[in-house]
Formats: sequence, structure tokens, C-alpha cells
Amino acid sequence: MAVKKVKTKDKHIKNLARIVESPRSILYHEEDLISYDCDGFTLHRHLPKAVVFPKDTEQVAKLVKYCDDNELPFLARGAGTGLSGGAVPLNGEVIISLVRMKRLLQVDLENRYAVVEPGFINLKLTNSISDKGYYYAPDPSSQSCCTIGGNVAENAGGAHCLKYGVTTNHILGLEVVLPNGEIIEIGKDGVPDRPGYDLLGILTGSEGTLGIVTKITVRILKTPEAKQTVLAYFDEVTDGSQAVSDIISKGIVPAALEMMDKTAIEAVESASFPVGHPRDIEALLLIEVDGISAGIGEQIEQIMEVCNNRNVREVKVAQDEEERGRWWANRKTGFGAMGTISPDYLVQDGVIPRSKLPEVLNRINQISDKYGLRIANIFHAGDGNLHPLVLFDARNPGETESALKAGTECLQVCADVGGSITGEHGVGIEKKEEMRFVFSDDEIMAQTDVREVFNQKSLLNAGKLFPTPGRCVEVKIETKEAASV
Amino acid sequence: MIVADILTDLKSLIPEGQVKEEERQNHSLGNRGQVTVYPKSEAEIASILKYANENGKNISVMGGGTKRGYGGLVETADILLSLSDYKGIIEHTVGDMTLTVRPGTTFKEIQDYLAEHDQKVSLDPAWPEYATIGGIIAANESGPKRLGYGSARDVVIGMKVVYPNGTIIRTGAKVVKNVAGYDMNKLFIGSMGTLGVVSEVTVKLRPVPKHESLVLLSFPKGNMEEIRSFVIDLLDAPMEPTSLELLSPALSNRLINRAHYTLAISFEDVEKSVHYQENFINNSEHNAEVSILRQKETQAFWDEFYTIRPNGTELITNNETEAALKIGIVNLDVLKVIKEAHVLQDANNLVIQAHGGLGHGLCQVILKGASDDVVAAIKQLRYFVVQLGGYVTITHLPLSLRQQIDVWGEQPSYFFLLKQMKSKIDPNNVLNHKRFVGGI
Ligand SMILES: Cc1cc2nc3c(=O)[nH]c(=O)nc-3n(C[C@H](O)[C@H](O)[C@H](O)COP(=O)(O)OP(=O)(O)OC[C@H]3O[C@@H](n4cnc5c(N)ncnc54)[C@H](O)[C@@H]3O)c2cc1C
Repeated sequence: MAVKKVKTKDKHIKNLARIVESPRSILYHEEDLISYDCDGFTLHRHLPKAVVFPKDTEQVAKLVKYCDDNELPFLARGAGTGLSGGAVPLNGEVIISLVRMKRLLQVDLENRYAVVEPGFINLKLTNSISDKGYYYAPDPSSQSCCTIGGNVAENAGGAHCLKYGVTTNHILGLEVVLPNGEIIEIGKDGVPDRPGYDLLGILTGSEGTLGIVTKITVRILKTPEAKQTVLAYFDEVTDGSQAVSDIISKGIVPAALEMMDKTAIEAVESASFPVGHPRDIEALLLIEVDGISAGIGEQIEQIMEVCNNRNVREVKVAQDEEERGRWWANRKTGFGAMGTISPDYLVQDGVIPRSKLPEVLNRINQISDKYGLRIANIFHAGDGNLHPLVLFDARNPGETESALKAGTECLQVCADVGGSITGEHGVGIEKKEEMRFVFSDDEIMAQTDVREVFNQKSLLNAGKLFPTPGRCVEVKIETKEAASV
Repeated sequence: MIVADILTDLKSLIPEGQVKEEERQNHSLGNRGQVTVYPKSEAEIASILKYANENGKNISVMGGGTKRGYGGLVETADILLSLSDYKGIIEHTVGDMTLTVRPGTTFKEIQDYLAEHDQKVSLDPAWPEYATIGGIIAANESGPKRLGYGSARDVVIGMKVVYPNGTIIRTGAKVVKNVAGYDMNKLFIGSMGTLGVVSEVTVKLRPVPKHESLVLLSFPKGNMEEIRSFVIDLLDAPMEPTSLELLSPALSNRLINRAHYTLAISFEDVEKSVHYQENFINNSEHNAEVSILRQKETQAFWDEFYTIRPNGTELITNNETEAALKIGIVNLDVLKVIKEAHVLQDANNLVIQAHGGLGHGLCQVILKGASDDVVAAIKQLRYFVVQLGGYVTITHLPLSLRQQIDVWGEQPSYFFLLKQMKSKIDPNNVLNHKRFVGGI
């Protein structure tokens, strides 16, 4: 009956509203749709046709089937914190929001797994089991608001992924609604290695282009007995990066090994969680070691020694959980902190072999000089995952374009040294064309072949992840012309 | 006639010395080729695949041959592509802890080389002297230390793969974190060589642990409840075992001369931490017989352990049938599976040696005896495991028996996706035809 309140002539909207059984579970007025015209990547915007909020897998399947039958483009959305535009409705999609499917369905501590709905917030999982001494390892900085469904789609990483791996290393099972509305379950009960191609592995990190995840079985871990965190201040960036290599070479596997440069420090110190870092240092390292308590002291000593050998100005160990917490809050809010020193900023996400760190940081500096834009670096140094943050002011004509170009050049540098164009934020819309920095036509086709196996009609999240064919021809013509000059 | 044609064709593609006509007409494990080729470069692999693809020939792919008895319904393909001569280390970046190798490199060659740098690949497959890295990855093989270090899918960061049409693609990259495009590495890990030939593998490395010990706890009463509660306490404590493997009495007897259920618990860390964890076990409540192996002694135990499974390179000379199974189950149900394997031993007049990881849910079961009895026991065990929500795949069995009992068990409900994947990539069924699930 309530469906009567849906006031529109659009029959599709009426039908979609029927599927979700309540007018409160669908948005279709323009003013309501505006907040769904982009995600954490704000440079491309487009209004969706509608936003629907299913309450269970069955509703998701019906919605998808309806879209498929009626050739309506659609996509899934979690918390909308994605940084590459994966949830932007480029084609006026029907957005299937999973935020109301947010239950924790099962926790099996003895067998070390938990089952969640896709809209369940990452940090809530750890919070629900920490009193019993367990946690969920992947910890993106956005963990207090991003969904585990979104984490699966992006194969999200985080500071502690150096030792414990990224999302894909923790996914044991998925229930997925395929683009034709069929429901499949992979890796039931978290049983590993079920025979067949590793669809779990392919779906994780597929950026919502192969299916909609409606249930997730994740591995949970025992909280380490002890943790110690070290903060080291360096007067030279190179010394900081050398220290990173030295620590790894000692055979230490830190739980986290993070770096911030001077500009980044300026920002975090002006934002909500300052911890009193000196403003005149060039780089800091935040290093955490965890594990059996008896073994940690020795590793911390080695780390301090490494830092001292690399001319550290000051190196200290967090004295208690409160101090450790402050250091991490300061680091984890680093992106947002840029807002305090620049009206706009663009986050990049390249990966390089760790040993190339000094060279790449140098080249990023040159890019910064070339465009006259400041670039802050705040990143997962241990696994070579850089986040250059290009600071700009969109009000100045041309500056947005310059920032975009500078960001792209940073990625080119990463690709040049044998790295990758994204370590955890995904390709989305943002880095579609940059895929060509790392993949040949054949390699891209091998991937679109996989997409076709799942998503033949391309109604689900089209126009993401892969360079558009037209554009790739243009790029080729351009490079040919350039080559012939 | 046909063989002669293939020989001639192949010799026009790669040097003659690398092409051999198979002398033996039959192999009890099957997966043979009329002609065997030993490519020495990626280009040669590509040209062989392209030739087969365009001329309606099929290819069986082999590394060291330890898994010859794993899947496959045909005695012979047209061509056996052996990667045993395509080996060696391509690049080792010590500081980045990444290694790129050719697929035919044996696991032992890799570990021996890395040991000089205090690094290792954190996998522990069977028969390291023979098993090649390509085969280990294609079969997604793991051992007890999967608990601590994960499996091939956690270790492989990049590959090069030759597609059936001869196209060479790269997947992943030489960096430890990467989400550019689909995670294509995963498609080939565990695909049993049915999608492409892996021509290069990049793995991330780990430091060799500074100290290592192995605690062996044998439970004379064989009371599963007692073992279970010990294990639950251990798992709930902040200890960090890298293996927590339950050995069946028969296997324990073979390895350490104690015919009891035995837990093999490894600790690998700095010395203080390892001792602390050993003490934790010594001080915890149990009625088990305990022995502790340290450093080199542990290696001797594991060296022996990795040779218990049937090895496809050896020909069986007596009338016994040997089989091996990989079983996946919810972690703690490993207890039930290992017990059932033990019970089935006497019920079927067989030797059954079994082990399973209580922290990761995978078991290996080795059966020896008359072929009818082996097949009967596999069926009984499969029934038992499937009831518990798990699966059984047969990782070693003579061809004639593989034609009688399905190696892969029931097809998953999403089988159509697997099939479409195969037909997209290998539409002519060139590679390892019928080697995998559902006759893929
Ligand atoms: C301040 C900040 C810090 C961040 N830090 C990190 C970090 O440290 N590490 C990191 O990896 N990322 C980080 N991110 C990026 C982002 O938080 C992650 O990518 C996260 O995984 C996205 O989750 P979400 O729920 O917001 O997904 P959304 O943004 O809603 O969606 C992301 C993509 O996933 C798809 N999707 C969502 N749910 C589903 C589903 N159920 N089934 C199928 N597809 C689905 C969408 O279609 C879209 O393509 C950060 C973002 C911000 C804003």
C-alpha cells in the first residue's frame, strides 16, 4: 500500500519501489539524488536514475533481474568513500545501495571466521570481537565508515597490510548476485580452495563490475599479544627511505611502516589530531611491530639502531596505548588534513618496488616544481605504496587540470620503475587511461574477456576500469605522431 | 603417421634436440604425450601453443611430473609440453624481497638459492626436489605452514602466461601491493594448467626466521575431545604457531615412531619468542607425550614429511594402489576427518596416513592397498566429508581408477562460470583437456 506514495510517472521507478517494498527505500527526486552523483572522487559527477536500498539478498537479486530485463544500467554502492570513482553513476545508473544490509550474521571464533552483510562497516567488525581478543586485519584509513562490501570490491588495503595482507588475503567466501540476477555462493563456510578457478580471487578487487556482493565470509585473527610503535624524525628524506630498506633487510617484518614528508606533517599538525611533530623535519617514519611480547623488545632495539645509523634526529617508542593511539589518529586522518593547508587536493595511489623510494620521491619533487603545485607524501612505505597528494585551488583557472596532469605524471613515474598505478584505491574512472601505462592491449583484452564471462551485457557499472576503446585508438595515434616527429 | 607429422611440425618450430617421440606406450598415471617437447624460451612455448591451437592438437603440460596422477581422463595428449628445461632465476631484488623465476625451476633450487640471502618463498609443498614452482602454483599446493604464511595466492604477485593462441600476457607486477585491473594472477593459480602456460612467476619473499622449533605432542589415549580442547585453548591464546597439524596414528608412527594422534606445532620467530611459546605448551594442561625439535632437527622432520605423498615421477612396481586426497573442511572438523581416515584404515584393510591443519582446514590423506579397497575408502571418506560441508579432491590416483571415480567431486553450482571462462580463453581445449573440474 505504501508504494502508492511514490509520486512519479516513471514506471521503472514504481516497479523498483515495489521490489524494495517501501517508499522509504527508494530515492528518485533530483534533490535527493544529488548526494549520490559522486563518491570520494569528486571530479566526475552524474546523477543516478534512482537509489534503492534493498534489505536482503533476495531484493538485490530482484532489483538486478529487473534492471537486466529492462536494460537499465545499475551499480552497487557501499559508503561511497571510494577514491577512484567506482560508484559514480556515469550512465545514469540505478544505484543499489547496500547500506541497509549491515548485519553481522555470524562469528565463529573457534574456526576463525565471521560472516557479514556487505553494508557492515569495517571497523565495527573489529569492535564486535575485540573484547574476546580477535580482530579483522585489513584497516583502510577510512575504516570507521567504509563498508566491507566496498572493501571487497576495491581489495582495500591499510597500514597494517604490510604484515597481514590486504582484503583479498582475508576473504574466505562470498555470496554474489550476478548481473542477470542469479545468486551464487563461493567458498561456503569459509572452506579453503574449493575446486574450480579462483572466482573469489577474481571478484575481490573487481570494483563492482562483475557482480554485487551480498554476503562475505572473512578470516578473523587473534589480536597480537603485544605491540610497540616507534616514531622517527629525519632531516633528510633519503635517510628516512634508507631506514625503511634497512629495517626490512634485517629480516624484521613490521606490522606497519608508514612515512610522511614535510608538507604532510604541516597538514596533520594543523588538523584535528596534532601530536607535536617538529615542523622543520623532512620526513617521519611510524613503525609498528607486533607479535609475541617476549620477542618484540629485540626488534624495537634493532629498529632504533637502524634509525640512528641513518642520522635520525629523534626516535622514540610510544609509552602507552594512549600515545600510540594519538600517533595513529594523526596518521590515519592524513588525507583529510590536507584541507587545512589547501582548498583542494587530489590523492594519488601508485606502487613502486621499495628500493626505488629515494629515486621516485625525487622525481615527484620535480613534478611538483614543474607544475608549481605542492605535493605532500603520506604513504605505506613498507610496501612501496605511495600516496602523493597534489594540493591545488580549483578557483584558479587551469589549476585543476595541472593537478590532474601532475597526478598522472606521478603514476607514470611509478610505472616507469616497474610499479603499478594503484595499490589500493582502484582504477575506477580516475585511472582508466593510465591502465595503458602498465598493460598492453592484449593484457587489457584478457581482462575484458573475464568481465564478459560475468557481465555480458555490461549493464553493471559500465565505463569503469578499462580505457575506452575510442580513446585508446586516439592515444595510439598520438603516440605514433609523437614518435614520427 | 600422425605422430610423425607432429614430430616434423614441431621440429620446424624448435630445435630438433628438444623434441622427442615418447618411447613408452603407456603410463599408468596417464597425462602422457605422443611427442614430448622441452622448450627453452617463452617464444618457443608460444610457438608450440599456437601450432597446437591452429592445427587441432592438444597439449598436456608438465613441470617436474610429481602431480602426474592429479586429474586428467586421457592416457595421452598429442603433445607433452615439459617445462623441466625452462628453469632458472630471472631476477632477485634482495632489498625488495621479490624473486622472478622460470616455471621449471624446482622448489628446492629456489630455496637453496634464497637461503644464501636469508630469504625464502613461504610455501611448503611436497617433493621440493622435484616439484617445480610452475606446477606448485598451477595445482595450488600448500603444506602445514599455510597456517602461518598462506598459500600460493598470498605469495604470487606477478606472472607471465602464454595463452593457447600464443599471446603472452603479464599479470600483476613486481610490487607487493597492486590493484590495477582484475587480479588476474588468481585465475591461473590452481587452474591445473587449463587456461594458459605460466612462463614466469614473481613471488614475494619472507626472511628466514631467526629461530625455529617444532613441538610434537602425542596423545596416547587418542581422545579427540582432549585434543580438541587443547587446540582450542592454544588457538585462543596469543600464540603464533606457523603449523598446527594433526597427524594420524599411522602417519605419526611412520615419522616419529609413535602410533598416536600427534600434533606438529611449529614456531618461527626470534629465539626468545619461540622459547616463550614452547614453554606455554609445556605449562599447559595435557596428558600428551611431548618432544621438542629445534633448528636443524626440525628441518630433518619436515624433509621426511614432504616425501610421504605418492610422487608421480616414480613408477609403482608392485600391485599396490596408491592414492592421495586433498580435503577441505571447516578448520576444527579436521579432527573428525583425520579420525575417520584412521577408522577407515582397518575397515578397508588399507594403510591410510593422514594429516590436517587445525588452523586452515586442509587435510591430506594417503591410501595404500588393493585398488578396490582404495576406491571404496575414498568413496566413504568423501561421503563423510561432504556431509560435513567439505570437499574431497583426489590428488593422486592411477588413470584407470580416475576414470571410475570423479577426481573433483560434485560440480559447484556456479560451474557454468568456470566453463565459460575456459571456453573464452581456450576455446579449442588445447591445454590439459579434461584435467579439471567437470571435464574442463
Ligand atoms: C579519507 C579516506 C581514506 C581512505 N583510506 C584508504 C586506505 O587506507 N586504504 C584503502 O584501500 N582505501 C582507502 N580509501 C578508499 C575507500 O575507503 C575504499 O576503497 C573502500 O573500500 C570503499 O568502500 P565503500 O563502502 O565506501 O565503497 P563505495 O565507495 O561505495 O564503492 C566502491 C566501489 O565498490 C563497489 N561496491 C560497493 N559495494 C559493493 C558490493 N556490495 N558489491 C559489489 N560492488 C560493490 C562500487 O560499485 C564501487 O565501484 C580511503 C578513502 C577515504 C575517503
